[in-house]
Amino acid sequence: MTEVIMDSITRIIKNFILENFLFGADEDALGHDDSFLEKGIIDSTGVLELVSFIEEEFSISVGDEELIPENLDSVNILARFIKRKQESNPE
Amino acid sequence: MIHKFLSEIAYKMPDKVAVIQGKRCVTYGDLYLGVSRLAAFLLDRGVQVSDRVAIMILNSPEYIISYLGVQQAGGISVALNPQYSAYELKKIFDNCLPDVLVVERKYLKAVMKTIDNGTSLKTLIIVDSQGMKGPSLISNKKEKVISGISCFNLQDILKNAKNENTYPAITEKDIASIHYTSGTTGEPKGVMLSHSNFITNANSIIKYLNLTEDDRAMVVLPFYYSYGTSVLTTHIKVCGSLVLENSFMYPNVVLDKMVEEEVTGFAGVPSTFAILLNRSNIRNYSFSKLRYVTQAGGPMPPGHTRELAEILSDTEIYIMYGQTEATARLTYLPPEDLLKRPGSIGKPVPAVEIELIKTKDVEEKEIVCTGGNVMVGYWNDPEETKKVLRGGRLYTGDTARMDDEGYLYIVGRKSDMIKSGAHRISPKEIEEIILEMPEVHEAAVVGIEDEVMGESIKAVIVLKDGLKMEAKKVQKHCMQKLAPFKIPKEVVFVKDYPRTSSGKVQKHLLKTPQKVTGHKLI
Repeated sequence: MTEVIMDSITRIIKNFILENFLFGADEDALGHDDSFLEKGIIDSTGVLELVSFIEEEFSISVGDEELIPENLDSVNILARFIKRKQESNPE
Repeated sequence: MIHKFLSEIAYKMPDKVAVIQGKRCVTYGDLYLGVSRLAAFLLDRGVQVSDRVAIMILNSPEYIISYLGVQQAGGISVALNPQYSAYELKKIFDNCLPDVLVVERKYLKAVMKTIDNGTSLKTLIIVDSQGMKGPSLISNKKEKVISGISCFNLQDILKNAKNENTYPAITEKDIASIHYTSGTTGEPKGVMLSHSNFITNANSIIKYLNLTEDDRAMVVLPFYYSYGTSVLTTHIKVCGSLVLENSFMYPNVVLDKMVEEEVTGFAGVPSTFAILLNRSNIRNYSFSKLRYVTQAGGPMPPGHTRELAEILSDTEIYIMYGQTEATARLTYLPPEDLLKRPGSIGKPVPAVEIELIKTKDVEEKEIVCTGGNVMVGYWNDPEETKKVLRGGRLYTGDTARMDDEGYLYIVGRKSDMIKSGAHRISPKEIEEIILEMPEVHEAAVVGIEDEVMGESIKAVIVLKDGLKMEAKKVQKHCMQKLAPFKIPKEVVFVKDYPRTSSGKVQKHLLKTPQKVTGHKLI
């Protein structure tokens, strides 16, 4: 069940990034472990857009102090962060 | 010349820290050794005085070694945004005809496409990011030839090249660098800056910022733009240190580093400070060593200036103005005037004179300047040069007013260049790309106010009769040819534009939806 939820979260994140930052590029243009920073996929304002999206989409709140690579810097890392936030603050 | 200052410092203080990046710490001795070895290699490869060497590297010790190594060899550094597409690179390469390109491996894709279309390049030097391994384009020790171009690895060059003691004789009037900037015609313009331009402007900046060898700047701005270059050249000249952070997408990482490295200075553009104020933990930090902050690259909202001044109450904040054609800096507002004169760009920096001159094109007066920092001209473009350099004076294209005490305030820009983040973007360049789409009849691109970026890009399009299109298709098309920062954030479709009686599009009315009156969106 957890795996299904994680798959769903990663799919939503990946689709958002492909649509908004890679403008409809193919699935294989973005690996789930690709670093957004290293690959230059998202810039400093793009991160703010991404954070706004995940806050709304997943009903979580991201604190300013949480804007760090350990929480955000790849599809998989971001998915795990979202899952932790949801579990620590279930609605 | 900046590379000469580097050699003097390396002789007197070889162990002084020049650059910190992550866990790497590079001394002036190391830096100069790298510069010498690269210069020796380039001379060996036949690079001659005034030959162009293009550089596509993010801020790093390797960038600095490449930038100054080229100049040490008598060449002209052409530092480029590594995000450029093959289409954009071709335009620039066709203009400046570089013999050599030094490029980070991760940007090779666009470069190889450009090479396939034919270039002047004879030598390719590949830079591997620290700790990263990539596909083996070249073998470790031996030269490999691809499409007639010899390929080498920078790390190997720095390890194995000889130390050269004889360099070509160059003067301060010789061109050190070409910085490409967007032009109103849509074609990039290569701003030629001499060694003397850099020294003059560096001296001016050092004077008003009171920079010394004890200064240590946090650098988040790219070196390939003139503002970033000015941070580099000034800190080398005073034998200061540079802390490089390319991860500003995570601003708290940068703030942590500023505290850890006891940074004394920080340079930003309006979007830098918007991000720090809106989405970082800056209010919870204490920067005991932060002596000064500088802001240039467009106007910062007065509210942000006030907020920054409150948060950094022990730090001097300098608002500055300039342009690439002036090397970097033309004016600065002394920190004590920051809150007394909101919106002012201050007075001329040392060694610059400014006049406000009424020109026939515009109502307001244009900022016109003279000084040793004024560019030599645009590379290979005497026509465009004549438009802005007249009688030894630089016509900036910006209009301003002056108050009774000589403080300047920007009124507007003659051209419709878009300033987004640290980038200057030509609307015409984007319009031309959009016009390639067969569905498009007309395209108009404008900058619209953006709280974070200063301006963001909006495309307003008239389609051919009976046709429909999605905004995403336009963005995807642009992505194929343009760097990501030039992709329109907003795309709208209209039946027609508001026009003057002579049929000219009234672009200023396209900046907000409400202004597009009487014209329905599809």
